[in-house]
Amino acid sequence: MNRAITIFVLAALIALTGCQTVTPAGYYWGNYSKTLYAYTKAPSDETLAQHSAELERIIEVSKDKNLRTPPGIHAELGYIKARRGENALAMAHYESEMQQYPESRLFLERLTTPADGTKR
Amino acid sequence: MDARILISALVLLGMTGCSSVQMGTKRDAYPLMYTDKKPVSMLVVPAINESTAADAGDLLNVTVAQPFADHGYYVFPVPIVAEIFKREGIVEGTQVKGLPTSVFKKNFGADSVLFITIENWDKNYMVVAGNITVGIEYVLLSTETNEVLWSYDQKVVVDTSGSSGNILVDLVATAINTAVAQYVPVAAQVHATAIQSMPFGKYHPQSGADGESRSVNLAAKDAALDPTK
Repeated sequence: MNRAITIFVLAALIALTGCQTVTPAGYYWGNYSKTLYAYTKAPSDETLAQHSAELERIIEVSKDKNLRTPPGIHAELGYIKARRGENALAMAHYESEMQQYPESRLFLERLTTPADGTKR
Repeated sequence: MDARILISALVLLGMTGCSSVQMGTKRDAYPLMYTDKKPVSMLVVPAINESTAADAGDLLNVTVAQPFADHGYYVFPVPIVAEIFKREGIVEGTQVKGLPTSVFKKNFGADSVLFITIENWDKNYMVVAGNITVGIEYVLLSTETNEVLWSYDQKVVVDTSGSSGNILVDLVATAINTAVAQYVPVAAQVHATAIQSMPFGKYHPQSGADGESRSVNLAAKDAALDPTK
């Protein structure tokens, strides 16, 4: 029973994380859920750095394999960069997200325009 | 086609006497998803948590984007959206449930909004038997018309009981298995099962071509909309 559970958990985790596979919709997710889970369970600079690194890696691999980056990956990384004050990089990532997913434009433009209307 | 109907009929006949599961096609169950009302984008709002696990909503957020994105929808980045809602004091779906969905179109540019209710998120330990149960109710609403585009109710129960036959071994095994069982993979399994009923979105190669797929458990579809549940 133990083994069955282990196998089930592993299979579900693999299904969830996508490992090295590209999903039918054409996305590579890498270890996205694993690093996001770690950060959610125990938020810290370290777990955030690991999640951030995984986002970078997903973007790299997607580029190499000529795939669209999964929805939200560029946006998430841009948000993390913006929090760190790396505004130029943040904007670049938001731009990539908007280019790949035009439906994200209103959302990301609002994210980057402070309430007083000045562009950061 | 005839052979398939015959086989289906035989299977149904074979099932009489047991409760028959009524399955419908995606197009019959969710007709709006085969019109221009099918959304391109989807906003996931904070979950409505009916379980006793305080962290269920946060853990659920880890699992929710991938399955819907893989199904062809643009899902707004869940961690960012969750933080935006939190800053507005919104941590639970019930806080936004009554709002006209046009609010989400206006503020996020979202075509649709997904309300998730966590009905079960528990570990049940009965000494020589145990399980981990995750049950989720999904309702996808159009932000143009407030109409229900897709709905489903899905539960997954993973047995964590020891089954060696030796009662002392099983006692310990059950306790350990239940204690270490992880919610997140089970939640992922719930999404994976429920989403089989859902029409594919724009970014999926089979978008629009799956209308005849008879993968919708009609009781599950209706259960999600039943206010008495």
